[in-house]
Amino acid sequence: MSGHEQTRWRAIGGAKMAWREWDGEFVVFNPRTGSTHLLSEFAGEMLLGLLASDEGITAESLAARQADSSAGTDDSERSIAIASALAEFARLDLVETVTL
Amino acid sequence: MIVADLTAAALTRTLAGPGLRLRTGPVVTRIQSSLPTVARGIALHYAEHPTVDEDVFADFHVRVGTPRNVRRWLRPQAHFFFDGWSPFTPLPLAQGFPMLEWGLNWCVSAHCHQYLIIHAAVVERNGRALVLPAPPGSGKSTLCAGLVSRGWRLLSDELTLIDFEFGNVVPLPRPVSLKNASIDAICGFAPDAIVGPPVHDTVKGSVAHMKPPATSVRRASEPASPRWIVLPRFEKGVADRLAPLSKARAFMQLADHAFNYSMHGSRGFELLAQLVEACGCFELAYGDLDASVRLLNGLADDR
Repeated sequence: MSGHEQTRWRAIGGAKMAWREWDGEFVVFNPRTGSTHLLSEFAGEMLLGLLASDEGITAESLAARQADSSAGTDDSERSIAIASALAEFARLDLVETVTL
Repeated sequence: MIVADLTAAALTRTLAGPGLRLRTGPVVTRIQSSLPTVARGIALHYAEHPTVDEDVFADFHVRVGTPRNVRRWLRPQAHFFFDGWSPFTPLPLAQGFPMLEWGLNWCVSAHCHQYLIIHAAVVERNGRALVLPAPPGSGKSTLCAGLVSRGWRLLSDELTLIDFEFGNVVPLPRPVSLKNASIDAICGFAPDAIVGPPVHDTVKGSVAHMKPPATSVRRASEPASPRWIVLPRFEKGVADRLAPLSKARAFMQLADHAFNYSMHGSRGFELLAQLVEACGCFELAYGDLDASVRLLNGLADDR
């Protein structure tokens, strides 16, 4: 297992983040930046997983959680999608890594 | 008392002197101007609007006129003054009335933050409001004028005000701004509409204003519940079509078209989410005004 997979991620200012889900699309308001983002169902479910975890969550655990909503996608594709979404979330100041 | 109760001479004197205190929806503006084009524009387009007494608080104090210095003789231009300050580049004198209209829009969009303000036309039928957010050039005002000419109540052609307490649309009925080809389009579509003389060579091309219907002005204190969000896009020759738009995408469009969404933070997000949840959301491709008005009438009739 690589170091990257062991990295834990969590949502920044989770309790204050506001979101809505309509028909498989999400809008998320980030109070830290004042920005609002439109997310796909996959990315939105990922963010909800991160919001639900106070202590942070690894990409591997996220992949397991996402298995249901991305059925039909093979594991490597799912891992790449999760890594890409985490990088984008970090760029948008939605998530941060947790130092253990 | 309404503006039409004043004779032309009294209106001119009031504008040139203490100022006309005009109520437009929730806003009272004290307007001063000695320009004849402004007096004529107000007499025509605001005839049904109420005036208020001098002891009533005015939200904004504006003046359209020439500066009180030598430039008024050398190169006369219309300046818009807000509390004595001139926030805009001056325009040719002939553009005095459009300048007043643009300035009044700015007064509201830059200051009335007790509302969420969306750059959108909004009309009402049977107590339910249809919000039409769109960037300039999308045909929003033309469609708004067309709907108003077919019985919808004008709430605003430019600024949709949403109140934070109930999530209702607060009316701000003022003249509908028509540009270029849409001036003739509305004159042909609604021959009874009162459209002022076009002013040419403005930054937006030729501009004329349509007088708001008297009933819309008289009902300016009646809010309406938002029921539909329709993003119009005019394209010459296109077949008119109303297509569903996802709520999440409608939300993002509304946020993009709001003047002060970011200013309100989480509160703005919650209000916009409430608005989207209450509404059916659509995109309208329109190439023919009559066909689009019929489509939107059908939407309103389909309960």
